[in-house]
Amino acid sequence: MKLTFEVLLPALRPWVANLVNVWPAYIIKPQYANWEVLHILALTLLGGTAILMNLRLLNVGITEEPPSEIYRNLRRWQDLGVIGIIVSGILIGMANAEKLYDSTAFVVKMCALLGGIILTYGASRPVARADGAVSGSAKLWFLLGALIWFAGVVIMATGALINVGLYHVITAAALVVLIAARGRLRWIYLIGLVALIAVQQGITHGVYQGDDIAHLDPVNKVFTWLYAIWIVGAGLVRLLLTRREERQGAYVQLIAWSGILVWITGAAAGRWIAFE
Amino acid sequence: MIREALVWLQTSLGKGTGDTAQSWSEALLGSLNFWGLLEGTHLITLVLFAGTIFVVDLRLLGLTFRKTPVSVVSDKILPLTVAGFVILIATGLALFFAKPLVYYHNIWFRAKLVFLVLAMLNIVIFHTRVQNNQAAWDTLELPPRGARIAAMLSLLSWLLVIAMGRFIPYNWFDCGKPIPHIVNVMQDCKTSEQGAVDKEDMAKLGVAKQGGQAR
Repeated sequence: MKLTFEVLLPALRPWVANLVNVWPAYIIKPQYANWEVLHILALTLLGGTAILMNLRLLNVGITEEPPSEIYRNLRRWQDLGVIGIIVSGILIGMANAEKLYDSTAFVVKMCALLGGIILTYGASRPVARADGAVSGSAKLWFLLGALIWFAGVVIMATGALINVGLYHVITAAALVVLIAARGRLRWIYLIGLVALIAVQQGITHGVYQGDDIAHLDPVNKVFTWLYAIWIVGAGLVRLLLTRREERQGAYVQLIAWSGILVWITGAAAGRWIAFE
Repeated sequence: MIREALVWLQTSLGKGTGDTAQSWSEALLGSLNFWGLLEGTHLITLVLFAGTIFVVDLRLLGLTFRKTPVSVVSDKILPLTVAGFVILIATGLALFFAKPLVYYHNIWFRAKLVFLVLAMLNIVIFHTRVQNNQAAWDTLELPPRGARIAAMLSLLSWLLVIAMGRFIPYNWFDCGKPIPHIVNVMQDCKTSEQGAVDKEDMAKLGVAKQGGQAR
């Protein structure tokens, strides 16, 4: 089944169809491309600050300053990014409402937006402000935000035509683990990852022909699982190692990873609306 | 000369024999998912690249991390920026390879390259001139004017690179459509398959036609 807002709220179609005629959508429509640029700029501001703040929670980045200092310096810029994506998103969304109403990728994007706001403001920022101390409420917000984000990932993984977009999230996760892992773990992880890519390419380009979808599809799905297991596995090994050696809590690391990847999921889903 | 090379790149390079044979460029463009993944990666990597370079520029403008030395901010953040830039260039080259002629005759793409060169030039000037006496102002909350100007130029040029990039897929100025003469010249429409149609000529024709009808 194709999960869209049309399926969830079928009675809304006349209202959605009319949104383009409502102020300010009819003004935005001819200037659509300019507002898209604003949407992208806001996303870079939000994403860049999320990356820096959450990497600091993983002891990477500006380690000369405590996480609370990173938070203090970046929070207003991050607020600007969040307000920017929401305002520009509502405007371009109104001008393009019916397409979004019929889009599964848009459902994923909204899950990522809601999950991202909860994870960022409920968990990631309070933990950074407290220099890594995780309060009870931060844990609760993390669990709620991660659940909504996970729901979005599942919808994306099961959506025909958009599930390929999940490779953006997998790639980002692979890079975050590579940046955060250290010493021998980093090398073992990297060699394993390169080996997986080489074997997948060998099978999909050497064993089967490019148009043999019947065989290629299951092979690619198996490898997607293998990538996910390898990356998450390496992340968990890092988590166990640092928890013992540096007393860096498991919750802090999970919050930091999800605080970055949730926004990448939103961006990937947003781009995939066009390819759906 | 450049165009001939791009025609070869798009239509001949890697082409096998047989009626359905495709060049590598055509195969990439026609791929089921790969082109989309490249394009998506290009866009999402902007978050890593632009998102981090903006923070360094804001530090140079004295708008964030005022108590942290500039060298600490740039040394710790710029490796991430460079990683993003490498991915952007790799995916950008691959995307260009899939449609070289479309981009060659696209004014937004040409403008993007110009602003990209200006942004790179700004980086070179910053490293060779502005950074010479960085030790003297490294810990200042508000860096000197030269550094602030470089940061403003950096923000502005990357903003324009992003905007020009987003405008590329829009067909406002496609060759073959009646568009201003200057745009036809700037994107070399005369040599394109669609040719060059000057809006000014069409307007004159329209006036002549109307005049004719009136007479």
